[in-house]
Amino acid sequence: MRRLCAVALLLWLAPVPAFAHLVSTRFGELYTGVLHPLTTLAHLVPWLAVGLLAGLQSPRTGRWSIVAFPIAVIAGVAAAGTVSLPFIELVNGLSFIVLGALVAAAVPLPPWLFLSLVTLFGLSHGYANSAPDIRDFQSVLYASGVGLTAYVLVTLTAGSAQALATAQPWGSIAVRAAGSWIAAAGTMYAGFLLLAG
Amino acid sequence: MLALAAAAAHAHTETGVAGGLVSGFLHPIFGPDHLVAMVAVGLWGAQLGAPAIWALPITFPLVMAFGAVLGVAGFPLPGVELGVSASALVLGAMVALCVRPPLAVAGVLVAAFAIFHGFAHGTELPAAANPLAYGVGFVTSTGLLHLCGILLGTLIRWPAGMHVVRASGGVVAACGAYFLAVNLGVLA
Repeated sequence: MRRLCAVALLLWLAPVPAFAHLVSTRFGELYTGVLHPLTTLAHLVPWLAVGLLAGLQSPRTGRWSIVAFPIAVIAGVAAAGTVSLPFIELVNGLSFIVLGALVAAAVPLPPWLFLSLVTLFGLSHGYANSAPDIRDFQSVLYASGVGLTAYVLVTLTAGSAQALATAQPWGSIAVRAAGSWIAAAGTMYAGFLLLAG
Repeated sequence: MLALAAAAAHAHTETGVAGGLVSGFLHPIFGPDHLVAMVAVGLWGAQLGAPAIWALPITFPLVMAFGAVLGVAGFPLPGVELGVSASALVLGAMVALCVRPPLAVAGVLVAAFAIFHGFAHGTELPAAANPLAYGVGFVTSTGLLHLCGILLGTLIRWPAGMHVVRASGGVVAACGAYFLAVNLGVLA
């Protein structure tokens, strides 16, 4: 009996996880939305490419991505519940190749084309970020989180790329090489999706 | 309690990202035949100077990715290991002998070897814990090996440095000759 009491006491004293920091519950799914694109390479890498491409454009053109990309991403998340797009993973695989190759080639794009690409891939990535099991007001928080990451990531990457490409003679080569790495990774990813997936 | 426990909702939970990244990143580094050949690409680029020094690191990953897709598709490319070993021997010899062919010739030669390197990595891609992470990992480490070669190659601005670079090329060529001999069955 004494042993049983001791075991019971031990169990009672056994540590249970204490959620002393409740930010994740207070803001609901906002943090899930923030973290999802950051922890998924299929989103993170092409989003960096959007930033790099924006950084290689003239500031007048590149600046559009800061507004257009997060809005397109949020619209994509919102659209996911209403339409069904089966080939979205392949479109996102294509975004690696198109964006990466444009960064590697470092071509200045006409503003309408740059804006169209950013919007198209923002929509497709937003769509793939959707979380059907998050409902009601929580889904608004979730979409805001994804959009927040889109904004921060693209703005910081575009600014860094612009600074690097203009400040150092090798800077634009470094940015272009990064673009070719992204296009290369995307070529293999798309190849895998088509051939072995 | 269990019913109330909050489970993180993920739109599509990605698995094996860390494992895939690490295995992809280490594949070129723990394959000494890849490692020396990639450093030789950077060394040769530095020796050839502009525009090769920047054309190589930008075009190589793209051609290598094409080779990797052939590998994923199971394309019957003969003599892959021989091609990888020969690339170390030939590229090392180019650096050691300070050969300076026209850019197009150097480009085609390096691109041909890039196909073999990509193929060798690509055949293992579908088996990776996360194929995308594996691809990102091995492209990154290949690019960083080029960078090592280019940085070492900047020594050529000094006469003594040029000797160091050419000697490094000789070491790469010797490694390549050894791997080739092993693959041909001449050496155990």
